[in-house]
Formats: sequence, C-alpha cells, structure tokens
Amino acid sequence: MAAAETCFHCALPIPANCDIRVEIGGEQRPVCCPGCKAVATLIRDAGFERYYDSREKPDPGSVRPAEDAGEWEVFDRQDMLAAFASLDGARAEATVYVGGMYCAACSWLIDAALRKLPGIASADINPVTHRLRVTWDTSSIGLGRILATLADLGYKPQPLAPDSTERPERAEQRAALKRLLVASLGMMQVMMFAVGLYSGEFQGIDADMERFLRLVSFLVTTPVVFYAARPFFAGAIRGLRALRPGMDVPVSIAIGTAYVASVYATYTNGPAVWYDSVAMFVFFLTVARYLEMRARHRSLDRGAALASLLPNTATRLDGAQRRQVPVTQLAAGDIALIRAGESFPADGSVTAGQTSVDESMLTGESQPQPRIVGDAVMAGSVNIDGIVEMRVDVTGTDTTLGTIGRLSERARYARPAFVQLADRIASYIVVAILVIAAAVALGWYLVDPERAFVVTLSVLVVTCPCALALATPTAFAAAGSRLSDLHLLVTNGNAIETLSRATHIVFDKTGTLTCGMPEVVQTIVHDPDFDEQECLQVAAALEVASTHPIARAFTHYESALAATGLDISVGAGVEGVVDGRHWKLGNAAFVPGAQSVPQDAEATRVFLGADGRVVATFTIADTLRRDAGNTLKELEKMGLSTSLVSGDGQAPVARAAAALGINDARSGCTPDDKLQRIHGLQQQGEVVVMVGDGINDAPVLAGADVSIAPSHAASLAQSSADVLMLGDTLHPIVTLMQAARRTMRIVRQNLAWAIVYNLSAVPLAAAGFVPPWLAAIGMSTSSLVVVLNALRLSRIR
Amino acid sequence: MSILYLLIPLALLLLAGAVWAFFWAVGSGQFDDLDTPAVRVIMDDDERPPEDNRE
Repeated sequence: MAAAETCFHCALPIPANCDIRVEIGGEQRPVCCPGCKAVATLIRDAGFERYYDSREKPDPGSVRPAEDAGEWEVFDRQDMLAAFASLDGARAEATVYVGGMYCAACSWLIDAALRKLPGIASADINPVTHRLRVTWDTSSIGLGRILATLADLGYKPQPLAPDSTERPERAEQRAALKRLLVASLGMMQVMMFAVGLYSGEFQGIDADMERFLRLVSFLVTTPVVFYAARPFFAGAIRGLRALRPGMDVPVSIAIGTAYVASVYATYTNGPAVWYDSVAMFVFFLTVARYLEMRARHRSLDRGAALASLLPNTATRLDGAQRRQVPVTQLAAGDIALIRAGESFPADGSVTAGQTSVDESMLTGESQPQPRIVGDAVMAGSVNIDGIVEMRVDVTGTDTTLGTIGRLSERARYARPAFVQLADRIASYIVVAILVIAAAVALGWYLVDPERAFVVTLSVLVVTCPCALALATPTAFAAAGSRLSDLHLLVTNGNAIETLSRATHIVFDKTGTLTCGMPEVVQTIVHDPDFDEQECLQVAAALEVASTHPIARAFTHYESALAATGLDISVGAGVEGVVDGRHWKLGNAAFVPGAQSVPQDAEATRVFLGADGRVVATFTIADTLRRDAGNTLKELEKMGLSTSLVSGDGQAPVARAAAALGINDARSGCTPDDKLQRIHGLQQQGEVVVMVGDGINDAPVLAGADVSIAPSHAASLAQSSADVLMLGDTLHPIVTLMQAARRTMRIVRQNLAWAIVYNLSAVPLAAAGFVPPWLAAIGMSTSSLVVVLNALRLSRIR
Repeated sequence: MSILYLLIPLALLLLAGAVWAFFWAVGSGQFDDLDTPAVRVIMDDDERPPEDNRE
C-alpha cells in the first residue's frame, strides 16, 4: 500500500497525491513535503549525503517552513550581536544551544555545514551538552545566517547569552583537572621516594641520602597540599564559619597535621615523615571529587533547559506594524502575535482571537485548554490551532515557567546533603593514626628507644586509609559505569546511596506511567455502510494537517485516502471532503447527531460524521506503558510502596491507578501540591523516590530524596533528576533499585573490611609484631581487596 | 648512589615541565570536551569533493 511509504528525510508518512522526489545517493527518494525536499537537497548539495548513512534515527518532524526564515534575520542586527556574542575586534564568539540533536551524525553534520560558510573561524559542537561554540568574522557573515543554516538543517538553534552557565562550569572543570594532575603526579613521585626511604629503613641508608629524599618529598608534596588540596581547606573554613563543619574539616586537619609534622621532622631530622600518606590521601580524595563533578556537569544546565521552551523571537505589534524581536526584548504591556504551532513567549492575557493551548508540560493537564479574549496564557505553553494576540504581563524569570524553575532550584539546594561516610571515617582515621603513631612512638621510646622508629613506621604504613578512601568511590564508579551501559545515567553521586534506602516510589502519570501519546482505544461504528478500518482512515486523512494533540492518535491509520477542502474550527474539530463525501470530525457539538450517542464523561471521545449523520465514535486515551504493571509489581515485591500524583483530571488518574493496582492516587495536583505530598511522606519517615517527566514535575523531582526522569522528559525535569532513564520502558527502575541496594551492600562490605583490617592491624603493629615490609604488603592487599570487590558490580544485569 | 643527587633533581625538572605542558593544554581548551573526540574519528570528512556527489 502506498501508505507504507515514508519520507526519506523525516520518516513521516507521505500524504497521498504527493509526488515529490529528491535524488540522493543516485536514487530517487520520496519525500513528504517541499520542506523536506529543501532540507534533503541542501544536505546533498553541501556534500553531506553521508549523513543519511550514519544517522541513527530519522529527524522527527524537524522541518521548519520556509516562511520562518525571517525569524533569524533579526539576529544580524548590531544590538543582537551585543546581546549574544562576545566581540573581539571584527571577530565574534557565541554559544548556541542546538535543540534536536540526537546522535554523533548530527554533530558531524553541523560541524561540516558550518565550516562551509564563509567567515567561520571555528565551530565546536558538544553532543552531550548540545552546545555549539562558534567564532566568526563579523564582516563576512552574521549570526542570523549561522542560525538560519542550523535551522535549515532541521535543528532548533538558540543563542545563549555569554554570561550563561557554561563558563563557570568550564572553569571548574579546568581547575579540577589541573588539581587532579598535580595530585596524581605528586603522589607518584612521593611514593617513589617513599619506597627509597622504606627500603632504606630495611637495608640501611646513608643519613645524607635520607635527608635528601625527605627534602625532595617535601618539595613535591608542598604543591599537592597547597594547590591540589586547597578546596578542602577552603571548604573547611567555610564550614567552620557557617558553624556547620562538614567532612572537609577532619580531612583538612589530617592533611594539615601530617604535613606540618613531616616538615618539622624533616627540619629536625625526626624519626619519620608522612609525605607519602599526605599525597596519597589528597590524590584519592581529588579523584573522588573529580568523578563526582563530571557526573554533576553531565546533567543539563537549568538556564538553557528553561529557555529552550520559549521561542527565540516573538512577533511584536507596534501599532499596525509587525516586528520580529528577540524574546528578551519583550516588555510588560507589549502586544504580541502568536500563530498556531508557536509557543507563548511570556505570561499574559489574550486580547484578540481564540485558540486552544497545550499546557501539559506546565500543568500536567493532558487536554487542550480553550482560550478566548481575556483568558490568561502562560509562557512556554503551545498555541495549538488559532492565531491570537496577547498582552504581555510578565516576562523572563517572573513567569510561571521561571517560577517553576526557581522552585526546583530551591528544592535542590534545600536537600540535605549526604555526607560521604567513607571520607568522613577515613579522615577521622587519619587523625587517629597520627595520634596513635605519636603515642606508639612515645611508648616505644620510653620502653625501647631503638625499636621506636621501626614500629612507628609500621603503624603508619599498615594503617594507611587507602582501602577506606577507596571503598565508596570505587563501588559508586563501578556501579555508575555499569548502569550507564544499562541505559541509566546517574547524575548525582549521592543518588545510589539514597536509592538503596528508598521506601516509597511516587509516579507521575502522563508520559511516565503512560506513553504520553493519545491513542484510539475503542472505535464504535454506527453506520453499517462503513467498517472500522475505513472510519479510522478517513479520520486520519482529515487530521493530516492538524496540529491538535488528538490528531496524533490517528497518524497510525494514514492511507491512500486524501482529504480536500480541509477546514479547521478552533476548539471544535475539522471538516473536509474525502471520496466525494463531506466529513466532519470533532467533539459532540461539532458533529451533527453526535449528541444522541450516549455520553461517557470519563473518556475523551471524538465523533466522525458524514452528510449530517454520525458514523463512528472514537475513544481516545493515553495508554499505559506496556511494562508498567509488571514494573510496579516487582517494585512492590521489593518492599517499596507506590503512589501516583498527577496534574491530570480525576477520571484518567483513577483509571490508571486501578489498572496498576495503586491504592494511593491523587489527581489535579499543581507542582506545589505534589511537593506537599512528597514532604508529607518524608515527614512520616519515608525515603521518597519520584519518577516524573513534565516541567510541572521539576520541583517535585528536586524535592524528593532521589528522582528519576525518563529521557524524553522536559529538559527542566531532566536537569532536576538524579537519574536519567534512556529508552521507553519503565523496567530499568527495578534494575536501578536492585543495583543501588547491591552497590550499598558492597560499600558496606568494603568499609567493614577496611575498618576491621585497620583495627586489627594497628594493635599488632603497635605491639611490634609487624615489620615494615609486611605492613606495606598488608596495606596494598587491603586496597586491592576493596577494588576487586567493587568491580563485582560491573556484572549487574 | 651519589648519582641520585643529580638524577632526582633532573626528574623533578621533567616533572615541572610535564605539569607546565598539561596546564597549558588545559588552558587552551583541549580538555574542555572529553566526549566528542571519541566519536569524531568515525565521522571523518567525505573524501570525495562535493561536486562529484551529483551524478
């Protein structure tokens, strides 16, 4: 059947009677519209046909109609350049957030396409952060042309203000890398010298050589302490000032005292130096901090996530004149024009026209909401089917969208930070080691001065807290990398620990437990002349041009049938001629005779009528994910209780809860209600996991003890989540919970092993039963045991 | 063993050189993106000049 044919470029079905072809790779390829043809031709002519071979999935409906080209021209203006780029003479640099990137082929295509433009000095694209850093010569090309090129390729470019969050992150990453390098090189060198000193102790060493080795150890350790370990000291001082000493305090005391004692011993020719312990301790902590920072940066940054919901530009009405302005230049009192399919640039009210809007991302409401003159509209919601004018009341961060963003930020900061147990214990142990070592040295000095030094040395070596310092980070790193193989990205280092303690899982409904896509679940045919399949195909033909969310329910049924004379009535339905008959598809008021069909207040119904009679009734619903029931059952078997909170209406929520066997379901929740619910559970002592995907879930995700978002979630929700689930199934949650519990079991084993080892080794060493070489073997073996134990986690499935 | 008095300072000099080189590399942005280079190699440029693509 012809309907099976899909567009070569965007993979959407090709409408009947449409015969547009484009030659790619020596073959005539069918495409669905002139837009796709233009994009495909552009890609071909630029020599990028390889894009089609290497892309992982087709562009999902990414084509921008040609008339939008003007949108980008405003960015050529001088004031725009000042707002979005940093200028250095004739050279400008800007960062652009590129929406709609899915794979490495995209990054290659963008990179290659930009390099063909005149005047582009460099273009660096990062597929993980979706950021393009582009430098160009302002005399030969404008920012507008660059953005238009990206838009022509089918992406959604969005220039970011230069002071957006990337720079501090970049600086942080650079500084962390430098510190890591200093700590690791320093550690290696100092260990080398330490081997000399230890074996010298064993075989005898020249006094001059010993002094020399201590001196070079001092030289190498000094930058490690004062440069690599500076954040620990800074954190300790901050903690003490705020009267909330964190784990940085004991860490700093350990590093500081060991260093000062070593310097003193070096200066006075004392019995021992601890440079190796200091350098190693700093190194392990720096590695752990670095890994944690990398994971944190992986989560999307909030600013771009928030802004990506807003259009770049808006059409402002200055009197009778229409003017495209960047959304940042809209001010309260302006009148803006919003066409169908565009999103609202600001909060305000409708002043002319009528439409229906999709606010599902903001409120969780799954049905389109009608809006007429005087009604309020929210920034970020999508104008579905009419052209309206709006008066702008609030813009930017003061909008509902901005408030939700701020709310989630605050909830995130308010979350009690899990203090890493191992670091804390390790740092106490370092202090304890120093105290014990001093006591042992004093004790043996009084009893047997000749053996005092060797015994003290053994105590110091055997008790090196390496195993302790490694216990947690290695287990987390092994679990994290294994989980990312299983399509679960852990963006918050504390998430695994919290997940293992979780007692309660709260789910959002729309898009999380359900697919988030309306589907036809029931078709009743009232007219014996037609069968079910015909009715669905006619409906699909009528909905082909509609942007209404319900239209998506019919796209599976598209066929060779085509409609002519399509006319969309806002908030009611669509009519047109198919096969010589005049059809109407819409709500009960729109289709004549539909009122006589028995109503069902619980379900969304769409009626199909022809020539004044009703022919069929479709029931549309958002279906549950296939593995939702199973997943919930398994979670309950693991001893977790489940709840459902949704912004959606009472009927669909109750239906989903009943189907899944969830007893605790709440409907019509605002983001604040959801947060209250979570706080209520937390006050009852529950450790709450939140799973959600909408923007309205963002504050809840941040407020829950730990949060999970599916990868299709709104970027704001993703940036608030601790764990991202790739793929379209819910079952990974079960894997995640099991993995978290297993990880913590291994962490506990590691900690127990390290503590038992240290506690049992210290008395033996202090009593003088352990020679230094045995101590060294004991120390490395205990570290090895910990690492190997952690690696068992990479076998999770 | 007295050769160590020369070799160890020499090693320290090399170490300082390595640290300096790494700091320079970080400062020039070579480590800013640790993810793209891994995939870039498989996305090599088309060897054919663009004009030849059209038959």
